[in-house]
Order: sequence, then C-alpha cells, then structure tokens
Amino acid sequence: MTNTPHSRGTLALCLLLTWLATTTTSQAEKVALSSENWGNPEGKACIDCHSKSSPGIVRQWKDSAHAASKVNCLDCHHADPEDDDAKEHEGAIISTIVSPLDCGRCHTVEYQQAAGSVHSKARMPVEASGGPDSPIHTFTTTGSCDDCHGSRVTVQGDGRLSSASWPNSGIGRINPDGSLGSCSACHSRHQFSRAQARDPGSCTTCHSGLDSPDAEIYQTSKHGILFTVHRNQMNLDSDQWVTGTDYGAAPTCATCHMGAAPGLKATHDVGMRDAWNLYGPVSERQHLVVFQDGERINLPVSQPAPRRGADLEKPDGSIGKVKVVADPKRRRQAMIKVCIECHSKGYIEGVLQQFDHLVERYNMEFGRPAKAIMDALYGSKLLSETPFDEPLEFTYRRLWRDAGIRARHGAAMNSANATWWEGLNAVSRIFYESFIPQMLEVAGERKGRELLAKHVTNIAAHRWLQEIPPVNNPVSDGKSATPAGE
Amino acid sequence: MKIPEFITRHVLLALMLGGLTGIGFILFLIEFDHYTSSEAFCTGCHSMELVAKPYRKSSHYNPVSGVRASCGDCHVSEGVLAATWDHLMGGKDLFAQLFGRDYDDPVISALSLPDAAFSARRWFHERNSETCNRCHLLQAINGTRPGTLAIHQEDTAGKSCIACHTNLVHREVPDETTFKREKWNRMIEEEFGLEVGTAEKLMSR
Repeated sequence: MTNTPHSRGTLALCLLLTWLATTTTSQAEKVALSSENWGNPEGKACIDCHSKSSPGIVRQWKDSAHAASKVNCLDCHHADPEDDDAKEHEGAIISTIVSPLDCGRCHTVEYQQAAGSVHSKARMPVEASGGPDSPIHTFTTTGSCDDCHGSRVTVQGDGRLSSASWPNSGIGRINPDGSLGSCSACHSRHQFSRAQARDPGSCTTCHSGLDSPDAEIYQTSKHGILFTVHRNQMNLDSDQWVTGTDYGAAPTCATCHMGAAPGLKATHDVGMRDAWNLYGPVSERQHLVVFQDGERINLPVSQPAPRRGADLEKPDGSIGKVKVVADPKRRRQAMIKVCIECHSKGYIEGVLQQFDHLVERYNMEFGRPAKAIMDALYGSKLLSETPFDEPLEFTYRRLWRDAGIRARHGAAMNSANATWWEGLNAVSRIFYESFIPQMLEVAGERKGRELLAKHVTNIAAHRWLQEIPPVNNPVSDGKSATPAGE
Repeated sequence: MKIPEFITRHVLLALMLGGLTGIGFILFLIEFDHYTSSEAFCTGCHSMELVAKPYRKSSHYNPVSGVRASCGDCHVSEGVLAATWDHLMGGKDLFAQLFGRDYDDPVISALSLPDAAFSARRWFHERNSETCNRCHLLQAINGTRPGTLAIHQEDTAGKSCIACHTNLVHREVPDETTFKREKWNRMIEEEFGLEVGTAEKLMSR
C-alpha cells in the first residue's frame, strides 16, 4: 500500500483516538512528588497564629485534602528571597500568591493541562486590546476585564503587590513568576475543593453576562434544571467522579467540558472537546493543535491543519513543533463519550445536528453578511479605524456578541429561550431594525444598496426584503414614500 | 567622733562643689535627652521633616486615646546613660547631615530610607523592642478580638514586638532579606519622574 496522505491521515486518526480514549482511573491524578517534599515543619507555626488571627481560612484548610495529607501553609507559600514577590513574614520567606507553577510542583498533570488550555491564556485578548493609549485600556482593569480574564500582577519596588492588580483570581492571571492562570479561580483557597469546581457556580461567576451567557443558558436548560432539583444526588465531593458510574442525575459544566466518562480521561484543558469556536462574529469549527511541550492552540478549519512535526507559532510568539492535531470531528467524539452515558447515539446525533444547523444558519444569514459589510466599510474608510466611535460599531457588537453568542451557546446547551427569543430572534431584530438602517446612513444611498445587494439580499432568507412595498423599505429600489407630516 | 585630718575645709568645699556639678551635669543630661528626643528638635533638620510626614498620619501620632509617641519615645532608650549613648551614636547622623549627601533632597531621602529602616529595625531587635514597652505591655494587649489576646499570650515566646510589627509609622520598606535595591531605585525614579539610572548616580556621589 502506498503511503498516501489518506492512509497517513487514518493512522494519525487512530493514534489520536487512542490518545483521546485512553482508559483511566479518572480519579484526580496521583501526585508524583514524594511526600518527603512536603509537611515543612516550620509551617506548623503558621497554624498556631492564624487559627487565632484568621480562623476561617485555617478551618477551610483543616477541612481540605491538603490538611489530610499534611500539606501545610509553607509548603505552598514558601518563596525564595530572590523571587520578585518574596516577603519576610514572621521569620519565613513567603509569597502571597501561590501560582499555578507552585501548585504544579505536586499537581503536575493538572498544571500542564491547564497551562496549555484557553483558560490560562484568558488575559491575552485583554493585553492585545492596546497599551495605555488605547481607548479600551481604561476598561481593562480590575472592576472590568481583569476580574475574569486575570490581571498582570505587578510587584512594586517596595515589594508590595500593586492594588491595581491584586487581589485577583482571574483565570488568565499573569503571575509574578511568569506563569499564567489561577487555580483558585475554580478551587477557592483554602479548601481547594473539587466539589466547588464541579459545581456550575464556579464556572458561571465568569461565564455569565453578555459575552458568555452560559449561566443563564444552563439554568434554563434541561440539564441545569435537573442539577438544581437533584443537586444532593450529584456526589460532588467524590474522589472518583465518572459520569454514569459515580453520578447520573445531571451533567454540570465540568461533566461535559472536563469530566471523566468511561473511556475518556478527565482533563484540565477545558476547551479540548469544543468542535466549534462560538465566540467571534462568525463561528468556525476548529482544530486542536498540540505542541510537543504540551502547549495547545485552536486553529480554525479555514486554515490548513499543520502536519505532525511541523513548526508553528505558539501563543507566546515562539516556534514549537506540532505533536498532534485533533480535527473538530475527533473533538466532538470525545464530547459524545460523555453524552452517550445517558443518551442514545441517534438522539445525540440529532441534537448535535440541530446545534450545528443553528450555528451555520446564524453564520450564513447574519454573522457573515454583517462582518462582510463591516469589513467593506472599514476598507473604504467609511468607518474610522477607532473602535466604538460610531453607533454602527456598537450595533454590530450587539448583533454578534450580545445576541449572537447567546443564540449559539443557547443551541449548544439547549436553552430554548436563549437560542430563540434572546438569541436568533434578537439577532434578526438588531440586523433589520438597527444594523441595516445605520449601515445605509454610514455608506450612503448608492454604496449602501450595493453592499446590500452583494451581501444581504443575495441570501434566500433576506430576499423578502426586496419584495415588500417600498414604504420605509431601505432595500427597495423604489423611492420611499414620505411619511405624512414631514 | 573625730573627723579625719585630711578632710580639710578645702576638701569639703571641693566635694560639695563636685557633687553639685555632678548633679547639675546629670540634670543637664536629663534635660538634654528630653529636649533632643522631641519632635520639634528632630524635625529641626529638613531631612527629618521628610520622614516625619508619614509619622504624622500614623496611629502613633494620632491614636484615638490621645497618646502621642514622640520620635525619642521610640528611637531613644530609657535611662539617662542609655539615652545619652543613643544620642552620641545619633551624632553620626548629624555628621552625615552636615558633611554627607543632601538628605534634605526628597529623592536622596527616599533612596536612603531602606538602609535607615534596616538599621532601625536592628536597633529594636537588639534591645528587645524595649522602647515599645514604655507604652505597650504584652500582658495588657487585649485587642478587640479574642484572638489578639491569645496570639500575644501564646505565640510570642522568644519574640519582641519588632519581630512582627514593622512598617507602622514610616513609609513601608520590605524586610532586608527580600529587599531588591534595583527595584526600589526604579520605583523612586518613577515617582519623581527621573530617568532610569539616576538613583545609582545620585547614591554614588
């Protein structure tokens, strides 16, 4: 048999399937570090004082798996005097921030998975939004973006953490030691509970609101309602937490996006099973590219998938070697391993087709036309480069983000209200009522009609715009009737 | 009883004069130590006015109780001999003020602050924070939460106040063990809008 691209592809798929479906105990990964390396005797003195000065956190720690394993304060908080954020505290050199790198000394696997995930890179779009001169910059602080996306923690010359950047538990936090992320975003200090991270509430502190309305969507979905009703059957604190084996009442966010199912490993790479990118103005299916050092990126399918061993740019700008690429189909197959514990194959296929159909419909009828029009207006300088100095730019964002993301996420998680009334229905209203009229104002009569013909009325779903009477119809070629009294 | 022959009138006079002079000298020292421990005396030098600014905002200057600790209450030992010795040692600061760098310059002051703080902390350590004990008694620290009393009763063995309580009065300076001179210099330069490297130039003079 010749080594055709097809057979190589099949081989890669088989390897990948093995990789994704490796059987596992699905318990928390065992800590590789020998127990000789924790239980610092000096750490016991911390407890004496803190059980009086801040008994709440000591109590949390006493209820934690850390205390049961004799991991104490200094094991996590100890620092090297040379560390940027090191400080002297009661004779010990400590750092306030326990970074993922610190947690990763013991929790190696979880650290590597989280470090490669989209979560640890959550601050990147904030950093990319411009320097201090950018009009957006004033919003990228605590009290806005940083609370969820994470801050860039700065250590002042006097050793203190700047109050503009700390306290912060955003999941993409840039730590003084250079590591990305914050384990306590989901595992709050000082109990670091797995039950907390399995509860949807951990996720929905950030995944709610305009750009990620998953709290509202989950709550109004069948899955969310089942969780609310049967929460006490969820076995949230169990060491092993396999869908269908240890619980079955309802799936939480962690169940589908991270959790273990028979034949599927639990993962801290939260976006690994996402076949679609559901965040931008237009959704694309996406490849998962895994680098040899564990770093991962999502690559839209419109870009060619890199080959194994190829050089590719990593998120930090350096070049890495590609270890493996999972296409959207494989990613979905991983997700289906969770679904199948409760639903039949045919049922799952049907639900996923309905989901895909909605995303494709949104893309075709609203996302792509709106984006094409915006690109054209920027290209012909009818819109200035400055973001959000023109009403149309706010309208466009309302269309694809406020309503568009809600529609697509709603379809992904089966919330009827989010998908339709607050989703696609709202998208269409913004499109017809605001986007098109404002666009015509910006582009002018001739150019506006040209754009409509090229990007909107050429689509079957919008053809009716040409056929309705010319009164107040911006698309009609006929002269608009002047409303009485004007 | 017979007075020894060598105690003549002159000897008696000399003893009396000597005694009176001694008493006068001691009284002078007491008054001297008292005066030179006051805020008014210390801030007579402009350089000290710079470090007094944060002091005047601190709880040691304006506590609700109305008790106010002067410079010397914390920085000069109890007892006339120890107090005099401290003032003699403090003389080197006066020498530095007169012949050293321009400590009246806020930039020089801020750059010099960490070393001054480290030295002051050592001083407190060596004396088991005894000047704190002029006002604060370990047995009497009740706090407003039960834990405060318990901590001071149970967790202070082998420690004096300064072991835990630093940065109460003057501008915050990290501990010597984790202090990073370069970062401090950059911070001060930024604060005063100076070019990077100015701090090193100023301090090498």
